[in-house]
Amino acid sequence: MPGRELDSILEGRRSQPHQLIEVLQDVQENFGYLPEDAIRAVSRALGVPLTEVYGVASFYKAFSLKPRGKNVITICTGTACHVRGARLLLNQATGQLGVAPGEMTEDGMFTIEHVNCLGACALGPVVTENGSCHHHMAPGKLRKLITSLNGKGEATHA
Amino acid sequence: MIPYVTLSIDGALIKAAKGTSVLDVAIEYGICIPHLCHVPNLSDLGACRLCIVEHVVNGRSKVTTSCTLRVREGMVIRSNTERIRHLRRNIAELLVAQAPNSRAIQDIAVRCGVKKVRYPFRNENCVLCGRCVRVCSEMWQAKAIGFVGRGKDRKVDTPFSQPSEACKRCGTCIDLCPMTITPCDGPMKPGEEYLCGKCESQMMEANSSPDQCIWCDLGEGFQCGRY
Amino acid sequence: MPRINSASDLEKLRDGILAQRQSLQGTITICGGTGCQASRSRDTIAAVTAELDRQGLKDKVRVRATGCHGFCEQGPIMVVEPGNVFYCHVQPEDAAEVVTQTVRQGQVVERLLYTDPVSGKQIPTEDEIPFYLAQDRQLLSQNRRVDPCKVEDYLAIGGYGALAKVLAGIAPETVIQEVKASGLRGRGGGGFPTGRKWAECQEAPGDEKYVICNADEGDPGAYMDRCVLEGNPHLVLEGMMIGAFAVGASQGYVYVRNEYPLAVKHIKVAVDQARELGLLGQNILGSSFSFEVEIARGGGAFVCGESTALMASLEGKVGEPRAKDVHTVVDGLWHKPTVLNNVETWANVPAILENGSAWFAGKGSGRSKGTKILALTGQIKNTGLVEVAMGTPLSTVLFDIGGGSASGKPIKAVQTGGPSGGCLPADKFGLPVDFDALAEASSMVGSGGMVVMDQDTCMVDVAKYFLAFLQDESCGKCVPCRLGIDRMLEIITDITEGRGRPEQLDLLEDLADTMSQTALCGLGKTAANPVLSTLRYFRDEYEAHILNGQCPAGVCQALITYSIDPEKCTACGLCRKACPHGAILGKKKQAHAIDLDLCEKCGICRSECKFDAIQVC
Repeated sequence: MPGRELDSILEGRRSQPHQLIEVLQDVQENFGYLPEDAIRAVSRALGVPLTEVYGVASFYKAFSLKPRGKNVITICTGTACHVRGARLLLNQATGQLGVAPGEMTEDGMFTIEHVNCLGACALGPVVTENGSCHHHMAPGKLRKLITSLNGKGEATHA
Repeated sequence: MIPYVTLSIDGALIKAAKGTSVLDVAIEYGICIPHLCHVPNLSDLGACRLCIVEHVVNGRSKVTTSCTLRVREGMVIRSNTERIRHLRRNIAELLVAQAPNSRAIQDIAVRCGVKKVRYPFRNENCVLCGRCVRVCSEMWQAKAIGFVGRGKDRKVDTPFSQPSEACKRCGTCIDLCPMTITPCDGPMKPGEEYLCGKCESQMMEANSSPDQCIWCDLGEGFQCGRY
Repeated sequence: MPRINSASDLEKLRDGILAQRQSLQGTITICGGTGCQASRSRDTIAAVTAELDRQGLKDKVRVRATGCHGFCEQGPIMVVEPGNVFYCHVQPEDAAEVVTQTVRQGQVVERLLYTDPVSGKQIPTEDEIPFYLAQDRQLLSQNRRVDPCKVEDYLAIGGYGALAKVLAGIAPETVIQEVKASGLRGRGGGGFPTGRKWAECQEAPGDEKYVICNADEGDPGAYMDRCVLEGNPHLVLEGMMIGAFAVGASQGYVYVRNEYPLAVKHIKVAVDQARELGLLGQNILGSSFSFEVEIARGGGAFVCGESTALMASLEGKVGEPRAKDVHTVVDGLWHKPTVLNNVETWANVPAILENGSAWFAGKGSGRSKGTKILALTGQIKNTGLVEVAMGTPLSTVLFDIGGGSASGKPIKAVQTGGPSGGCLPADKFGLPVDFDALAEASSMVGSGGMVVMDQDTCMVDVAKYFLAFLQDESCGKCVPCRLGIDRMLEIITDITEGRGRPEQLDLLEDLADTMSQTALCGLGKTAANPVLSTLRYFRDEYEAHILNGQCPAGVCQALITYSIDPEKCTACGLCRKACPHGAILGKKKQAHAIDLDLCEKCGICRSECKFDAIQVC
């Protein structure tokens, strides 16, 4: 695991237990998830017992303990998006890719996630794809989006 | 000199050292407030909520857990009202429906007056009381186990579910675990769990003799209110 | 910019900024909030800037990229001054036309005007739009006058004037007295009187105290805090500074949701600017008051809206609430006295000190004073952020501002207060937006989310949705919340899948009562509200599921079947291609049919069909 990136994240924060969440946020941003050795290294550097670091890492939604796909598709399932059919989008994405929310596709191309509100309720249902936001989504639009990201044309599902 | 305060629990005026919890004081004076996650000399979480009491302030009563409530001068506590008994029974019902295969939980349910369980039984082997987590961290400073995840995925585990280097193999976690005491008739088969209730016949006797505890032999490590 | 060392320095700086701006011919305001950015407003901003440059107007007309205006549905939104001309859905291609016609010739580009969906008329200026007309936008109106990354804009509208006034010689006790007298109550959900909170913290023993801004807006369907923090971060900072001065704190924290990247960025910029100006740091404005602010990004946990959980999170721990035998105003962050208010509450503070408590208390009703921002979403024509004086009837918000139902079907209910709130039926729409009135009706103002539901929404499904949300978000520490929500969800799932029994409704009520009285924190105590309020007002829907095995709204998957009306089907094949489960059979020019064995009832085909041929029964 590339130690240099981790070193720069930990720079100036060593032995400061209260920085734990901020540090983990940066690790997550940098690596896309929290690798095991990074968690161990953070525990040593901040002086926080491993059990506590692991507890924090598994408690907050922002952190993922498993690697995520190249494309992360996040479907907002907040109330406003829910009443406008966010469930259809989740069905579409999981059905098309054959994975459960939170899981990565076998080829490592996609992870489908859902978030409880992105705060763009007026434009719902909202989907973000690798950080960029798509509003007023419909299953058909999402299907095209996934297909185009996949670059392999139609029909990924078995 | 330790400063003392006087408070009233169920009408009895009690002198207690400042800083102690209402639950500790009540137990000390033989007032049985049911509890599960509380362990003497460990910190209190307020997780099981069985030790709820009514705390009367300015004529208004508030339901709160007695383990996390510090004694204060002139405090008025009611631990055994109709309202509290009802709430406590509902909580015990949730617990026993979750883990019928624990004698400790079965006894607690009976003691709290659960007569019927309105939910389908599940057969979990942990109710997340956190006795093990706290003894590991507070008594042994080991922190080998902790709470992992949140909500319905919360569990007690070691980091990465791997054997922990910090574990001292002391076994205190197991000693304190309410799940290790199996029902008198042996483990219940999955799908055939039931509310035992066999000790119920002895309840009346126990209620009328508050200084005795004949049914609550929960085994070493698990201490009920009346020890 | 130079450091400001006194109130007169501040005034001089302000006068300088205003003088400089007088030479401007006009301003084009374009919304750059999260909503409009999703509609590519950044491209529009760039195009307009380039066009002004090309036409040689760069120095005469300013482009101001602002925070959210609240009318996100119409984004990207543009307002051209002078003239107050309001354009919506402005694309980069429109830049040349806007600059040539409106800026140069003062003419309106009609095709970009907003059309009122109720009257069908085009509306030329922002002030005349019905959505805005019935509002009282004390906080939100500042957003369009401020570029959130430019402190000069905030200074130009009188920013930091209230802080200067306070530091020039108002005693902390007097500040608290003013806030108390204003009747301001917490905007985050609890509705606790802010002044009382401050007073208790000020009186608490200890030299080290903290103020915290809760910007971890987790209520799904509410985004006013995002909008205020993102659009006007200095306003929030100024509020925090006044609060810190009043209670005697020298350190503040802003705990902001990481899902709001723009808000994180803007508050960071604002803190840096304030520090550079000397508005943060030692001896602010030459007084003895010193104050610093740190930004912490939240880890994504709804339960961190609970004060003790948020503080645990700030300390770098798991965000679990703890028992509040002693309140956080006495025993808070790092066990020090702490005042925690949410973004909207802090944002209300400067104006109270500027205009006086009587001005603030003059708005509102009963024990609910001032204005409240509401997030109007769901099945309603005008979605967006709405700010009204408290006490305004729900019907005004829904029909006069919101324009009524989006689908044309009657509005069945409005869900207020997020997961802790409840669903109010149509006959309660006369109720005012008032902390106490809504609480009495089994709901709450909460943080101000209002999700509108029409006949196609199943209320049992709504209750199930919130329970699933809360099950996901509960920390899992205490039994009534963890197991209570779990069992409630089990029961409601039984009901929505046709296994419900009538006695389960009583069990739901009994369990709800136990949870509300015994759970450790606010999340658990209020978790049953969505179930209780739907049971109270929509019991017939529960009964239809249980007794008749029907979902009247046609939502609950286990109780419905899909079929294709061969009369209406044009064999276009859209549904067949869309079905992720391969359950639709049909060939060209042949009416399609659904294979019920394969159908997962996801409803995607129905949303795809252009001819309304897919039926639910």
